[in-house]
Amino acid sequence: MEPIPTDLIIEIFSRLPAKSIGRFRCLSKQWCLILQSPDFTELFRSCARPRLLFAVEREGSWSFFSSPQSSSSSLVLTADFHCGISKVESRFTCSYTSGLFYFSDLRIPNVDMSLVFNPITGQYVRLPYVEMLRKSRGFLGFDPIEKVFKVLVETYPFCSDRDHHEVLTLGTGELTWRKKKIDCPPYFRSLCEGICINGVLYYLVCSVFDLPNDVVCFDLRSEQFKLVVADCFDDPKTTKLVNYKGKLGGINFDYGKSDGMDTLELCLWVLEDVERQEWVNYVYTLPETKLIDNPFNVSVGGVTATGEIVLAMNYTYKPYYVFYFNPERNTLQSVEIQGFGADLEVGMYRGKVRAFVDHVEDLSVDDSVQLKSSISANPVKCLSSNCEE
Amino acid sequence: MASSSTNKFVLKSNDDVSFEVTEAVAREFQVIAHIIDDDCAKKAIPLSNVTGEILSKMIEYGKKHIEEAPVDEEDEEGKKKLQIWDEEFMKQFNMEIVFQLILASNYLNNKGLLDLTCCTVADHIKDMTPDEVRTLFNVKNDYTTEEEEEIRKENSWAFE
Repeated sequence: MEPIPTDLIIEIFSRLPAKSIGRFRCLSKQWCLILQSPDFTELFRSCARPRLLFAVEREGSWSFFSSPQSSSSSLVLTADFHCGISKVESRFTCSYTSGLFYFSDLRIPNVDMSLVFNPITGQYVRLPYVEMLRKSRGFLGFDPIEKVFKVLVETYPFCSDRDHHEVLTLGTGELTWRKKKIDCPPYFRSLCEGICINGVLYYLVCSVFDLPNDVVCFDLRSEQFKLVVADCFDDPKTTKLVNYKGKLGGINFDYGKSDGMDTLELCLWVLEDVERQEWVNYVYTLPETKLIDNPFNVSVGGVTATGEIVLAMNYTYKPYYVFYFNPERNTLQSVEIQGFGADLEVGMYRGKVRAFVDHVEDLSVDDSVQLKSSISANPVKCLSSNCEE
Repeated sequence: MASSSTNKFVLKSNDDVSFEVTEAVAREFQVIAHIIDDDCAKKAIPLSNVTGEILSKMIEYGKKHIEEAPVDEEDEEGKKKLQIWDEEFMKQFNMEIVFQLILASNYLNNKGLLDLTCCTVADHIKDMTPDEVRTLFNVKNDYTTEEEEEIRKENSWAFE
């Protein structure tokens, strides 16, 4: 067989999943260098196609899968299993940004911890303890200009004589929380998970003294806060914040009425202008489908870069579907996802699914945030599910 | 002047097989497009690195992509049809042929076919062990046993 020159092997490798790259670093010293070089990392990023990421929670075990994200190719796709965490005593609450999760309160037997976690490789870094209210949240953000990840936690957001927030920058060697005086106007508490868009973290909060709800905007570079009035959401606790073509959006999925008939409705508010605090509303009635019988079995996963709204079933039913709603064409495409495994698909032990859109594998992430520990080689046995099984 | 659908060119493989193709199909291959632009395509165009077997497959691919080209960026239906055809097209080849197609599409500079063939190989090797990949690409393992153990440990997440 005619040998393939190195530059073409590099072309082939750039189209592999990150996991294969990790394995092929063991081919030889030269290949290890090539596959860790900035040039390859960049090429890999440019070839990477967005994927859907699934976190499935069942009886204290969290499993992470991903599948191709596409509404136009196949009608059946297979999800790949990546890794899992077992013996978890806390609920699955997370902040997800640019390929990484932040778990502010992960409880496994005898340990409470907060960590930043790569769901593809299972590598993680534990963050130092920070004192915060029980209902306070933490948010992970990525600043695309400085290329750094930062974690923002609410500590005591409404106390006038205590710090409202603390910030931690990842990848700086020693990890420390900074309590510098950040002048965020007080609010009562956050209402939902946040989202990071172009270096700005957004999350919905409930104001003090019965004022309308706000969106907190935290610029990761300048570390400045801004509040934007957001009284447009009827049920902010169920609002899913999304990246709507680079702008902040919030979607509620519920019943609607059309010609006296019950319909399924997506209500989207887009923050058109941050300075003028201008929200624009779009309401979409889903085309009829037998696969979604009520709005409580399906959740909004997010909006793809091309503007399609992704809905995902909440439990690992078999068959399991995700749906791509294209608002411009008013089409709803269902794609069956297989591969969660019999364990998660058996009747009474179904897993609860959370879906995340536009997941892109990035080889540089682990290096930049120094995710040194791996759940496969971890002294904290409880974190490792795969090894034990 | 003749339009690109009536203008014909002859491509000749390194084992002396000739193919007559339309200008549009010929231009699917960047290198041949340059030869045409430089007015050097009066006689048959010799392609010294490509066999007749491979060239016929490349022309089949080029023809299909001219005939069934999506109308525009928005033509999802058209893109999908072509994508399905691409998948079927690649299924007929063993790895040896796919490797030759990679080399030839790189040589004649057809980005679409290069991407398609590279993706096919990537899909084929993604679950392979380092040893299998070394054999496939003639890579010499220059790690000592200790070094290899160390690097495997560093990337242990990739071996589960």
